[in-house]
Amino acid sequence: MKRTSTRVFALAMASALTIAACGGDDEGSSSTEAPAASEAPSTEAPSTDAPSTEAPAAGWAVNTDDCVDPDAANAPIEGTIKIGSAMPLSGGPAATAFAPVKDGFEAYIQWANENKILGDLTIEVQIEDDQYNKDLTPGAVEKLLDADTNVFAGIIGTPNNTAVKDLLNEECYPQLNALTGSPSFGNAEEYPWTTGLLIPYTTEAKAYAALIADQFPAGAKVALFTVNNEFGQVYAEAFKEIAPEFNIELVDEQTIEATDAAPPTAQVNSIASNAPDAILAVPLGAGCATFLGEVANAKAANAGWNPAIFMTATCSSPLILGLAGPAADGIYTANNLVDILDPEVAAQPAVAEYIAFMEGLGKGDIITTAAAGWHTAEVTVLTLKAALESEAGLTRASIINAARAFNQATTFTRPGITLKMNGVDDQYMSESLQVIQYNATTKLFTDIGELITDFES
Amino acid sequence: MERLLQYVFDGLSLGSIYALLALGLVVVFRGTGHLNFAQGEMAMICTFFTWQFHAWGLPLVVSVLLGMVAGFVLGAGVEVSLIRRVAKKSEAGVFVVSIAMFLGFNSLAGMIWGNLPPEEMPSLFPDEPDDFVRIFGAVWRYEYIGIMIVALLLMGLLFLLFAKTKFGLAMRAVASNPESARLVGIPTGVVLAASWGIAAAMGALSGAMVGGLAGELTSLLMFTPFIYASASATLGGFDSPGGAVIAGLLIGVGEQLAAGYAPGWIGQELRLGVALVTIFVVLLFKPSGLFGSTKVERV
Amino acid sequence: MMKINHGSPQHWALRTLGVALIALIIVWVPTQMSTSRIGQFSDAFVLIIAAMSLNLVLGFTGQISIGHSAFFGIGGYTAAILIKDHGWSPGYTFYAAAALAFVVGCLIALPALRIKGIYLALVTLAVAVLFPTLVKWKKLAWLTDGAKGIDSVRYDELPVWPILGELKGRDGRAVFAYWLAFVLLVVTYLVCRGLVKSRFGRSLVAIRDNETAAAVMGVNLTVTKVLVFGVSAALCALAGVLSTLRTGVITPEGQYVTLLGSIVFLLIMVVGGAGTLWGPIVGGLVYVWLDNTTRGFGSESDGVIGFLFGWSDQSPATLILGLALVIIMFVAPYGLVGLIKRLWVKVVVVVPKPAGTSLPTTGQ
Repeated sequence: MKRTSTRVFALAMASALTIAACGGDDEGSSSTEAPAASEAPSTEAPSTDAPSTEAPAAGWAVNTDDCVDPDAANAPIEGTIKIGSAMPLSGGPAATAFAPVKDGFEAYIQWANENKILGDLTIEVQIEDDQYNKDLTPGAVEKLLDADTNVFAGIIGTPNNTAVKDLLNEECYPQLNALTGSPSFGNAEEYPWTTGLLIPYTTEAKAYAALIADQFPAGAKVALFTVNNEFGQVYAEAFKEIAPEFNIELVDEQTIEATDAAPPTAQVNSIASNAPDAILAVPLGAGCATFLGEVANAKAANAGWNPAIFMTATCSSPLILGLAGPAADGIYTANNLVDILDPEVAAQPAVAEYIAFMEGLGKGDIITTAAAGWHTAEVTVLTLKAALESEAGLTRASIINAARAFNQATTFTRPGITLKMNGVDDQYMSESLQVIQYNATTKLFTDIGELITDFES
Repeated sequence: MERLLQYVFDGLSLGSIYALLALGLVVVFRGTGHLNFAQGEMAMICTFFTWQFHAWGLPLVVSVLLGMVAGFVLGAGVEVSLIRRVAKKSEAGVFVVSIAMFLGFNSLAGMIWGNLPPEEMPSLFPDEPDDFVRIFGAVWRYEYIGIMIVALLLMGLLFLLFAKTKFGLAMRAVASNPESARLVGIPTGVVLAASWGIAAAMGALSGAMVGGLAGELTSLLMFTPFIYASASATLGGFDSPGGAVIAGLLIGVGEQLAAGYAPGWIGQELRLGVALVTIFVVLLFKPSGLFGSTKVERV
Repeated sequence: MMKINHGSPQHWALRTLGVALIALIIVWVPTQMSTSRIGQFSDAFVLIIAAMSLNLVLGFTGQISIGHSAFFGIGGYTAAILIKDHGWSPGYTFYAAAALAFVVGCLIALPALRIKGIYLALVTLAVAVLFPTLVKWKKLAWLTDGAKGIDSVRYDELPVWPILGELKGRDGRAVFAYWLAFVLLVVTYLVCRGLVKSRFGRSLVAIRDNETAAAVMGVNLTVTKVLVFGVSAALCALAGVLSTLRTGVITPEGQYVTLLGSIVFLLIMVVGGAGTLWGPIVGGLVYVWLDNTTRGFGSESDGVIGFLFGWSDQSPATLILGLALVIIMFVAPYGLVGLIKRLWVKVVVVVPKPAGTSLPTTGQ
């Protein structure tokens, strides 16, 4: 059942997906451009410099002995390959934010079939609605398993993915590109079949902590403001763990209920009374805007206090920040994907093709959020391609092996970023990110500092 | 001192919103003897109406008033078509129907407006960051002051309605004994419908204010305020409008103080807990509330 | 309209037929249907158990409670904590959860002693909303893991049961969960039936009809109310444990752990038929069926449904449920079971033995 206000969850996922962080990139070419100039099928960056369809790294391979049905896990997949997923398509604010991801995902699959990315193999996709409710995800996944799905990709939500990872690992089905940034999704030893696609919250927190330490070398006072659910909690814990490393003193920690629409006046007042140098905020969806509004109020009431505000990547949608108006000016956030609203980015061939394709489907108005779906599908299909071209051919086992050896940039990755995993040495796909700052007048983001790639394992 | 004042100010403002919603509960209870479990959701959907009117170009104040009218129609309509008929069959049935409405309105709001991005809801009062007044160091925002004044005004009007008008008298008569009221020639049907209508209209206004405060609308808007309103009505006494108001303010201030002075134990997370525990304690020791009248039941 | 005498061969034939039919369905589901369908039935059973527990308190004793989601959550969390943090075997957690919930239920019954009607509804509302809040409370995070919830709560190895044999993988888990749920359902039914048909059950109904009269007639209000709340809570906790084991996760925002859960239990009970033993069963099955079917209604449906609901991107499932509830209140105030009984009587009537007769009666 929906409505579960309580179910309103990490809209975070959405935003991270919402390729909103604008590029404002003054870098000329990106690896995505050159190939796009040629024929359609090889629009993917792989054809040029990045090591492309590599055979799975000889190092790591999944162990299928403990599978319920090892033969099925190693059986070749022929003719058609079926991708399954569970996304919130109805049932509240989560669906409002994320439903377009499905459109983008399906659009890419259609595009990939038309352009024969996997050769003669046809790709089928079936996306079930779990209403962002982790109690419904297992049912959706069971239904998909009964419908002969071969691989799962792009399930949205930390709790949703968590709810099915035991099942999928026991049955040995790849659970690729889980749309969550929870650090627990980089565990190749206990959950070899499960991989995550978003920037891990720990990495994001570290990037912000590093920037704060840069700006306040003598040690900074930071306050935390998080939504009181799994997403916020995981984020807060990640930050608290690394704060001491960066000489950061945590002076206040406030939370807000996911279901509470009222502005966090008391919380912000409490934070203000501690006068921190910076605030790390992890609110949910529209809460990003209310929070910023309150901070603006508090700043007016406390002359002289002007904290640096860092917001989770999930807030970085111009749609959401726009709600806050001038109060959103100057906030820091991060992303690893380009902003397709930026005209420069939109002009790049691969991106332009995406936009044109979506408009051809009559979905031109949702290209921002849908791009997240396109991106996820693209990473998935590229993985399938690598598995197909591997020695073992296309089997469930070879798919996950290929996933854990992935090393490519894709249509939407920022120039300089590759999505990379490597067995147990590098368990997260997206560890590079760019800290960006929002300008409320121009509604664009500017890059702050260099692309951070230090966290790539 | 400054902190204390701050908590008191914030508490009074939030409390007046709870009080307004609680008044709606009290009006329905006094008029019909029922608890409208869907009060919050009806308020929420009326707030969406208000937003819609405004989005269609009408000035905000007009939109809010229209929203209140819509609320009145909705409340009265529900009473006439559903509540009245079910009440004849069973009392518990009314409760069940109001739960059904709780689900229904929430779902409906999501269905009609749900696929749009979170709606931006302007406030009735100036709400720029600079719009505040400083009293003894504590900040009192115009928005909060405005809400308080509007709420108090409305409560005053309601009080006048109950105490000084013929209609108010009719309402009290119907509440105490519908049979006799009918015999005396009071149009009980109209009175009952009007009670629900007034309550819903007040809900619409409090929804508009909550929405203006939050700055955006979602279908979850009035869920927590409804809980607070229930706590206020319980504390004040379900048949005492004045009680609901005072209780609402008390709870508003109380939870701010509790959250502020015990951040480790209560903090923002357990703020709602304060209201819930209040319900518990009041019903355990004095179910009629601070100002309500104890019911004497004939055996 | 057929008249059958109570105890006659025809009566036995009818009963046997009924039982056989049910047995057939029960066995057919896990053996013939797809794994996801089996899962849906297990979920239905969980809801039915919870609704039956609520039925004891609300249907039979007339005490309004919308707080049963808290008991459900207590059950689920107890199991999760014992299994994850203390390595208990899942089987024993049922007992622990039931015991704990019994105690909590008794405590919550105390306010019920003095208040009725909507006031009791409010108290139970407070309990239902308080539970997730407490679970997320920082001071209790050491126990409950706060908002993150507890995951990976499952049987490492499914126990081997007679006939079922060794079960593996998701198919095995689904079948096992089904039978486990079924067994618990039967247990719950028997407990409820035993209580209701006993003297205790009669005092429950007496309290529902007129508390003062009941007291006058010698019913110990305090003990009765406290006991029924306790038992009801314990049964609801069983449903909670079952649900957690099936999904493997429990969080404070879980489907039936919040106020919404209480509302769903109430819905099922009312739709099925409050105050009847079979009401929650029918209600649960109808609810799950309705929920699954309506979830798909949306812009992709055709015909009437598409016309009615296609304009919205959101699923109308909750709206339809609300409407169904209202319709039931008007059309079948005694629930579907009441409706079925009324219609059934037009087809077959079982004539009870005249009182005081010990001679076997002849057939029709």
